[in-house]
Amino acid sequence: MQYILLIYEDESIYAPDKTGELLNTVVAGHMALVQELGPKRLGGAGLQNTDTATTIRTAADGSKTMHDGPFAETREQLGGYYLIEAADLDEAIAIARRVPIYREGAVEIRPLLGQDQRKSG
Amino acid sequence: MSPELDRIVRAAAGRIIAALTARFRDLDLAEEGFADACEAAARTWPAGEVPADPAAWLYRVATRRALDAVRRRAVHGRLLPDESELEPACEPEWQDEDMLIPDERLRLIFVCCHPAIAPESRAALTLRLVCGLAARDIAASFLISEATLHQRLTRAKRKIGQAGIPFAVPVPAEWPERLEAVLSTLEVAYAKAHADAAGNTLQASFAGDILTLTEALAAMLPDPSEVLAFAALVRFAEARRPARVDRNGMMIPLSEQDPALWDRALIEAGDRYLHRLRNMEITGTRALQAALHGVWCARPSLANPPPWPTILALYDALLRERDDVIVRLNRAVALAEVAGPAIALAELDAIACPRLDLFQPWHAVRADLLNRLGRKAESRAAYARAIEMAEGEAEAAWLRGRMPAD
Repeated sequence: MQYILLIYEDESIYAPDKTGELLNTVVAGHMALVQELGPKRLGGAGLQNTDTATTIRTAADGSKTMHDGPFAETREQLGGYYLIEAADLDEAIAIARRVPIYREGAVEIRPLLGQDQRKSG
Repeated sequence: MSPELDRIVRAAAGRIIAALTARFRDLDLAEEGFADACEAAARTWPAGEVPADPAAWLYRVATRRALDAVRRRAVHGRLLPDESELEPACEPEWQDEDMLIPDERLRLIFVCCHPAIAPESRAALTLRLVCGLAARDIAASFLISEATLHQRLTRAKRKIGQAGIPFAVPVPAEWPERLEAVLSTLEVAYAKAHADAAGNTLQASFAGDILTLTEALAAMLPDPSEVLAFAALVRFAEARRPARVDRNGMMIPLSEQDPALWDRALIEAGDRYLHRLRNMEITGTRALQAALHGVWCARPSLANPPPWPTILALYDALLRERDDVIVRLNRAVALAEVAGPAIALAELDAIACPRLDLFQPWHAVRADLLNRLGRKAESRAAYARAIEMAEGEAEAAWLRGRMPAD
C-alpha cells in the first residue's frame, strides 16, 4: 500500500517567506525522518505559504473561476494530488484546469519551497 | 522637484519599470532601481542641467542601481540570475543620450492584472507600477491607509515572485479571462480618475495614463473588441472633462454641458474606436456603454435637444445585459425626460436593492424627480441626504443649488 501524509500546521510561526531559524530546526527534523525511513519515503516537499496560493474552483454549471488564495474548506474534502513541473504559474493553471472535477470542487496550486523563483517571476 | 520634472518622471515611470522588470525579472528590484534614479534626479537636476532626454537618463541610472543591487545580493550569497541576461552585449548607457527604452508595458500590465492576484490589489499595482502614481495618492483615491496599501502591494509583489507569475503576454487561449482582468482593473482605475470632476488633482491626472494604455492595448491585441469599447468610452468621457464643472467648481450635468467645450480630437478618436467596434457587430455591456457615451458626444450644441429617446433605448438594451441598480437609475433619468417624472419615480421606487439607502445617486435622482412633481418637502429631504453623501465638492455645490426652497 502507498499512503500520502498531509502536514497541517500554523504557517504564521515561520517568517512570511518561510525562512529563518525555526524552519531550519523543522527541516532538520524532516531530514532525520527521511534518513530513518530510507526507501519507505517515496517523495515529499515543503510548500510555500498560503499567500502564494491560487485556487481554481469549478462550479456546478462547469464554469471555472480563479482566485488569489488557498482553498477555503466548505463541503469538499481532499481527494488527491498531482505534483507537476511547469514553466510558470500560467502553465500550472492551464494544467490545473484540466484536472477532472465531477460537479463541484477546487484545485489549489501551491509552489514548493526551495526553488529559484527569480527566473520565472 | 518642479511640477514639470515631476510630470516627466511620472510619464517615464511605467516604461522604465517595465523595461527593468523585463531585464531583471524582479519587480522589487525594478521599483527600487527606479526610485533610486528619481532620488538622484531630484538631487542633481535642480542644481545643474536637466539631461536632454530625462527618461533615458533615468533608465540608465536605474539600470546601474539595479545591477549594483544584484551584485550586492550575489555577495551575500543570494540567488543570481544568469550573468548573460544582466549584461547586454554592448553597454547602451555609454552609447548616446537617446537610446531606446524597450516598451514592455503590455507585459507589465498583464502581470499586474493577473487573475491570480487579488482584485483589490490589481488596480493599485497597475497605478503604482505602470502609471507611476505615488503610494499616498493611490491610498487616497481608494480611501485606504497608506499602510494598508503598502501591505497589499507587498503581498501582491511577493505572490508574483514566489508563485511564478510569468512576465509575459498570455497565449491566445487565455485571452478572454486575462483581458477581462486587465479591463476591469483599468475600469476601477478610470472610475477613480473620472470621479474627480474638477480634474485638478493627481487622481484626474492618471486619466491620461488610461488613455495611453487603452491605445496601446487596442493596437497590440489580436481581437480587441472589448478593448475598443473601453478605449472609446474613456475618450468620450475625458473629452467632456472641460465642461464638467463651471468657473466656480460646480458640477454641470451631462445634459446641460456645452458641447462647444468638449474636446473634439478625443471625441473623434472615440468615434474611430466605436466605428471599428461596430464593424465587428459586437454587443455586450461595454459596447453599449461606449455607444451611450458616443450618443451624448454627438450632440452638436446646446441648441439641439438632448438625445433622450436614443439614450433610453440604449439603457433598455443595457438592462437586458446587466440588470443592476446603476443601470436602472440611469435608465430612470432618461425615462423621466421621455415619459415624465411620475413614471420615472415609480420605476425608481420599485428598484429592489437591499442597501439602496446608502447609494448616493439614488437620492440625488429621486430628489430631482420629487421636485419636478411638486413634492417639495420630500424633495428637500432627499437632497439633504444626497448632499450629505456626495463624494466631491463640485457635486455637493450643484445639489445645494438645485434644492427647492421651503
